[in-house]
Amino acid sequence: LCLCFIVVEKGSPSSKNQKCKGKERGPPGKWTNKERVLIFSSRGINFRTRHLMQDLRTMMPHAKADTKMDRKDKLFVINEVCEIKNCNKCLYFEAKKKQDLYMWISNSPHGPSAKFLVQNIHTLAELKLTGNCLKGSRPLLSFDPKFDKEPHYALLKELFIQTFSTPRYHPKSQPFVDHVFTFTIADNRIWFRNYQIIEEDGSLVEIGPRFVLNLMKIFQGSFGGPTLYENPDFRSPNMHRREMRLAAAAKVREKQMVKEMQKGKKTSAKEDLESDVTADVFLTPAEEKPADIQTEAPEPKVVKKKQKAFKRQRMQMARR
Amino acid sequence: HFYLYEKVNIIHLHFIAQLQEAFAAGLLKPGMNVLVDKPKKLVNNVEGLKQCLADFRKDLPWVERLDLTNLPAANIISQAEEKASAPAAGELDADDDFQREMFFYRQAQATILEAMPLLNRHSIATKRPEDYFAEMAKSDQHMQKIRKKLISKQMIMERSEKAKKLREQRKFGKKVQIEVIQKRQQEKKAMMSAVKKYQKGMTDKLEFLEGDQKMNKESSQGSKKAVNKKGPSAKRKYKDQKFGFGGKKSGKKWNTKESYNDVSGFRAKIAHGKGGKKGKGGKQNKRPGKSVRKKMKNRS
Repeated sequence: LCLCFIVVEKGSPSSKNQKCKGKERGPPGKWTNKERVLIFSSRGINFRTRHLMQDLRTMMPHAKADTKMDRKDKLFVINEVCEIKNCNKCLYFEAKKKQDLYMWISNSPHGPSAKFLVQNIHTLAELKLTGNCLKGSRPLLSFDPKFDKEPHYALLKELFIQTFSTPRYHPKSQPFVDHVFTFTIADNRIWFRNYQIIEEDGSLVEIGPRFVLNLMKIFQGSFGGPTLYENPDFRSPNMHRREMRLAAAAKVREKQMVKEMQKGKKTSAKEDLESDVTADVFLTPAEEKPADIQTEAPEPKVVKKKQKAFKRQRMQMARR
Repeated sequence: HFYLYEKVNIIHLHFIAQLQEAFAAGLLKPGMNVLVDKPKKLVNNVEGLKQCLADFRKDLPWVERLDLTNLPAANIISQAEEKASAPAAGELDADDDFQREMFFYRQAQATILEAMPLLNRHSIATKRPEDYFAEMAKSDQHMQKIRKKLISKQMIMERSEKAKKLREQRKFGKKVQIEVIQKRQQEKKAMMSAVKKYQKGMTDKLEFLEGDQKMNKESSQGSKKAVNKKGPSAKRKYKDQKFGFGGKKSGKKWNTKESYNDVSGFRAKIAHGKGGKKGKGGKQNKRPGKSVRKKMKNRS
């Protein structure tokens, strides 16, 4: 537990554009890198996804919001929406079956796009994520060296860099760099973390949000076009759930089969044991006794009883 | 168009004819043709990916992107314990939560350590000055909540620690108590046996009293002066000797070697009868001697 890392910031949440003593809040340089990201979702998202989207918009000052899109519309409609909003990148969250969340990241007019399955979402509001940062400060981006080894990862890295890094001198940005986004590859997934830089020697606290991206496909065009890459390790959540159910069912079926076999064994006709020839070896028949039949009833026994005198009489006799 | 369809049809018919022949010849048997899943071919268009990347990438100066690629910083803890740092070399185990999170943490650390000099070169600050007020990503209210939660967690831990210590103390205290009681009992026993020994005359040392006093002195800093310095007084001793300690007289009236050899109480005149009769001239009817009495008895 690091209690010391809680520094209640001297932030005033209400006044956003509070000027400090004589310092120009707006950065002096010109904003040249015109990146704008459109972050929005489809209908049918749950609270966690909604909060994640809001958190991403908080973290990225160069992001714009839009209303929910109906899933009935084709995906390339999104390109038009982006054009209207004058955005050149897009993060689109699609929720299916109210269970699975997919994220599209794309470079809007012509560029590549990728679809991910998002898992393990933790938002900014979780009490265990104790860090904090300036709203709109620029992030450092940290990548795993594995991103350079595969061409599809290299493409994703470029996409992430262009999407997530706040352009310099953006009007809503703060000129300080006080947090770092990490993208790591583990277990064929991309893990995203956001840390606050406390000391320059490298002590960090996690701010959040955090999520895990499971790559599905990379397309050449934005929300369409030929597939450039398909992830062989990807299993759709439906298939995953189906497999679990099948496994459970198989277990039950196996148990039943075993039970039936046992039942069958019990009730099957048993063989009659043949008479054992050797069993007669040890039989020794007893000798025959002459049958003694009594025809008359036996005489009753006569019991002679000794007539003993009473004690007093015996004493008297003895005295005489 | 029509021609193509016809061609396909002809080929199809040809195929069917072949099957019929095979069936007639008895070559077709059930189970010969197994339904095999065609192995799924997954797209991995490496060339396409590279081309796309080349088209798509924007060669921005580092200051715009602020990205770094690095391995995690050395794990000091595991180095200190000399554990084989498996994740550094091989695969990171995504299921071992602690290890995985430490890996991410160290990766971020390494990035910072590398980026600091670069940022300083471009004069980008990482620490905001004290008077710079700006909106934070999480509101103050939220941070207060977090703080409260952390404090409460610590309190709970402390309380459980205290409870544990108390339990230990109680056990220990009980032990100590038992020991003290036993010690006292032993002392009492020793004292009583010493006293008995003195009573019986086995030892005429009264050190057991002194021993007790010495300890008392040590413990009570001599606040109590020794009232009976040499035990009971001489008068008391004489009386005790004569009259005993209330019933323990065994052996007191026997002769010892010294008392036997002690002839100081011998009066020769009295012993030999030469002292003369006392004033009255003795008794009128003097009791006869033992032998005379015996004779009398036998006679009667």
